[in-house]
Amino acid sequence: MKHRSLALLPPLIAIAAALLLWEIAVRALNVPAYLLPPPSRVAVALWDDRAALAMSTMRTASATLAGFLIAAVLGIVIGSLLSTSRRLERGLYPLTLLFQMVPLVAIAPLLVIWLGNGIRTVIASSAVVAIFPVIANTLSGLRSADPHLDELFTLHHATRWQRWFKLGLPSAVPSMLTGCRIAAGLATIGAVVGEFVAGFGGASAPLGIVIMTSLREFRTEKVFAAVALASLVGFALFGIVNGAAHVAARRYAA
Amino acid sequence: MSRILRIAFTIMACWVLAGCRDASPSEPAPSTIRLQLNWVPEPEFGGIYAADAAGFFRDEGLQVEIIKGGPGVAAPQLAASGRVEFAVVGGEQILTLGEAGGELVGIYAIYQDDPMAVMVHATSPFASLEELWKSDATVACEANLSWVTMLNEKFGGASLKIVPHGGSIALFAADSNLAQQCFVFAEPVALEMQGVATKVFLVKESGFNPYNGVIATSAAYAKANPETCAKVRRALQRGWERYLKDPAPTNAVMAAMNPAMTKEAMDIAAKRQQPLIESPDTERLGLGAMTAERWSNTAQQLQRLGKITTLPAPEEIFLWGTSAPR
Repeated sequence: MKHRSLALLPPLIAIAAALLLWEIAVRALNVPAYLLPPPSRVAVALWDDRAALAMSTMRTASATLAGFLIAAVLGIVIGSLLSTSRRLERGLYPLTLLFQMVPLVAIAPLLVIWLGNGIRTVIASSAVVAIFPVIANTLSGLRSADPHLDELFTLHHATRWQRWFKLGLPSAVPSMLTGCRIAAGLATIGAVVGEFVAGFGGASAPLGIVIMTSLREFRTEKVFAAVALASLVGFALFGIVNGAAHVAARRYAA
Repeated sequence: MSRILRIAFTIMACWVLAGCRDASPSEPAPSTIRLQLNWVPEPEFGGIYAADAAGFFRDEGLQVEIIKGGPGVAAPQLAASGRVEFAVVGGEQILTLGEAGGELVGIYAIYQDDPMAVMVHATSPFASLEELWKSDATVACEANLSWVTMLNEKFGGASLKIVPHGGSIALFAADSNLAQQCFVFAEPVALEMQGVATKVFLVKESGFNPYNGVIATSAAYAKANPETCAKVRRALQRGWERYLKDPAPTNAVMAAMNPAMTKEAMDIAAKRQQPLIESPDTERLGLGAMTAERWSNTAQQLQRLGKITTLPAPEEIFLWGTSAPR
């Protein structure tokens, strides 16, 4: 345990040094706060608006979690389906690539037309950007099963389900989790962009709306506060996936 | 290790100092004056383009570069930080940016009356802003705008749903229940030409009526260059006079720069915006005029709405005549 907390030290020192340098530079150069506020002002904004910002963060976090779960489940299902046949993979894999290539900012307004304003569009926007790494990593994980074992399964007339569950899955879990780790960060970005176009304003507006509103009111310190909280949502989700990865690694390592 | 740190620190310090020198006010003023628009070329900037085309800036000995804007362009910050000499901003932005530490001075107000409005489909049951605001309708507008806050205070607006306004009329055209913020002469005209009929409610009728389309510069620039400010204002007045008389030639120029709005739509819009540009004040003081009374009025309203805490002296935020701001 002592070892783990020591491992946290270098990144914490780096972050503290970066914040300190930022604070000193902004003060020394007399940069006006509406262009770039010092971190101390961001901290004050975080504290002053803590109740409202906590609510906003919860709203963004729940949409992000929903988008991530949809991307994870659908991504694993689609990846698994594609792995069952080379022909299917060749035919449909380029189509799934589309999710990766599509500029989210451009299709987000279309999502509003199709799904309306509010959380549905935000979740969809989050899932759309997060799904591809899960599909790609699931597929490559399932493909990486030991070919000798594969022959053994054929010899014993294993069903497709048995093959997926007992041969593919154990070898694919690490790469599925890698896909999910990437998806965790992307889901947060997708949710915030979704909120830009479809989030409801008002007292408990999500972080995407807080960012836009604060920008318009020239409250740059609050923009940074909301951005920091959005990253926190991404980090938290990443941490959860990492925790799951540790549990899974212990289980499947044997 | 410590030596590497020392070297890194020295490099950092040099870089910081170099940055300081770049930002110092002794830098010679660029020969070209940049004027940043806050939207794409449209009739709201007609007089600016007319002045440019007719050479009115050149007559004053000025070389002006007009920079097109669009959604997301940070025109007020660009002018306050000196990245551009002049920018077109909303009147209330001068006050709210001032609160955040960015000092702007308005030198010309295109709109004496705020063109800000909310449009609904002609088939909508709502007949006024009050009816709309007391309903549970969905309004696409920039949340937390001062007038939105004001309408919320006035009419409640607890069940109203506010959604982001991306600047597009496609969403509005597709959803017959949607209400959306607009400039009274712009979006409704474009929609009309697509066969979508609207009803439009002006925000100023509920009592909030700041100057809009204000050409502003940083306080530092206004103080150092009062002559240039007066020249820019004179050229703008001549440009707007010309545009109000005959907008068609300038509209042709602007339509070529803005494929989203046809010249026909611009011709209609130019006619509709005219009453917002001419007022008893402009008749007395000239086009683009601003008065201390109007500015204090807007500032007091913003203070009451909690958008600003301190009231600036009017002479700090606008410049009319040839006197420099204090």
